[in-house]
Amino acid sequence: MESKGKQFLYGMRAGLPVVLGYIPVGIAYAIMARQAGFTVLETCGMSLLVYAGAAEMMAVGMYAQGAAIITIIITTFILNLRHIIMSTCVNNKLKNVRTAPRLLAAFGITDEAFALFTTTPQKQATFPYLLGIALVTYSSWNIGSLIGALASDLLPPLVTASLGVSLYAMFIGLLLPGLRGNARLLVLVIVTAAMNTVLSQFIDGSWALIISTLVCAGIGVFFVDLKDDEPSAEKEDGDEK
Amino acid sequence: MRSEILFLILGMTLVTYIPRALPAVLIGKLKFSPKFEKFLKLIPYTAMSALIFPGVFIVDESRLYIGIAGALAAGVLAWFRKPIIVCVLSAVAVDMLLYWLIP
Repeated sequence: MESKGKQFLYGMRAGLPVVLGYIPVGIAYAIMARQAGFTVLETCGMSLLVYAGAAEMMAVGMYAQGAAIITIIITTFILNLRHIIMSTCVNNKLKNVRTAPRLLAAFGITDEAFALFTTTPQKQATFPYLLGIALVTYSSWNIGSLIGALASDLLPPLVTASLGVSLYAMFIGLLLPGLRGNARLLVLVIVTAAMNTVLSQFIDGSWALIISTLVCAGIGVFFVDLKDDEPSAEKEDGDEK
Repeated sequence: MRSEILFLILGMTLVTYIPRALPAVLIGKLKFSPKFEKFLKLIPYTAMSALIFPGVFIVDESRLYIGIAGALAAGVLAWFRKPIIVCVLSAVAVDMLLYWLIP
C-alpha cells in the first residue's frame, strides 16, 4: 500500500480533469451572482460554504427573479437530494474509516468527485485519495467563483463555450472503459440514458436523475453481472498511475 | 453581508450538507445484503449515464452538434482506455475547432 501522502497526491491528480470544468462554470456562476446583486463576499461565501454548482446558479437566478429565500432553500434541498445516493456509494467504499473524517469528506462529495471515486478500484479508493480529489475540486470551484466575482470576463467566449463539454467528457471517460466486455451493463447504461432523457421532458431534471438512477440500478441487480463485483475492476486506470 | 443573504447561504449550506453527510453517519450502522451491495455498485454506472444524458445534448442549446461532437470524441478515446484528461482535452479541442470553423 502506498503512503498516505502518495495516495493523497494520486487523488489530486485524478481530480485534475474537473478543474477544466469547474473554473469556467465557477466564473459563470459568479457573473450571474454579481448581476443578481450579490457582493463579492456574498458570491464567494456561497461557494465556500454551499459548494454545489448547479444549486448555486439556480439560487442566484431565483433570487434575481424575486423568489422567497425559503423557496430557494427548499429547491436547493430537492436539487441536492441526489447526493444521498452518491454519498452512500462513496462511504460504502470507506467502511473502515472513522465517522468524523468521513463527515469531513462528505462535504466534498459532488457529482464529479463521486464519479471519480466510485470508478476507482477498491484498493486505490482510500480516504486520502478522496481528500485529494475533494481538495482539487473544491479549490477550483472557489478559484473560479473568485475570478468571476472580481474580473468577470477573463476567458474569451470561444474558450468558455468550448469548455462547456468538459465535465460530460469526463463522465464519458470514467463510464465507458467499465462497459467494455460487459454487454448487459452497456444495455443497462443505454436504458438509463433513454429513461432519464424521456423523464426529463415530463418532470424536473433532479427528480428524473434520482428516479432513473435508482430504478435502473434496481433492474440491473437482476440481469447484470459485475466482474469481481467491483466497478471498473478491469479498468487500466491509465490516468491514475 | 446582508442578513437576508447570510440566511440564504446558511440555509443552503445546511440542506446541501445533510444529504452528503447522512450516509457518512449511517453506513457503519447498517449491514447491507449482497443484493443491495450489488445495487450500490451499479449506481455509479446508472448515475453517470443520467448525468451525461440528456445534459450533453444541451451543452450549447442553439447547436445540438456541439455536445454530440465533443461527446463522440471523448467516447472514442474513452473506449480505447485513454486517460480521462486526454478525453476531456480532446472533446474541448473538437468543440473549439467547431466554434472557430462555424461562427
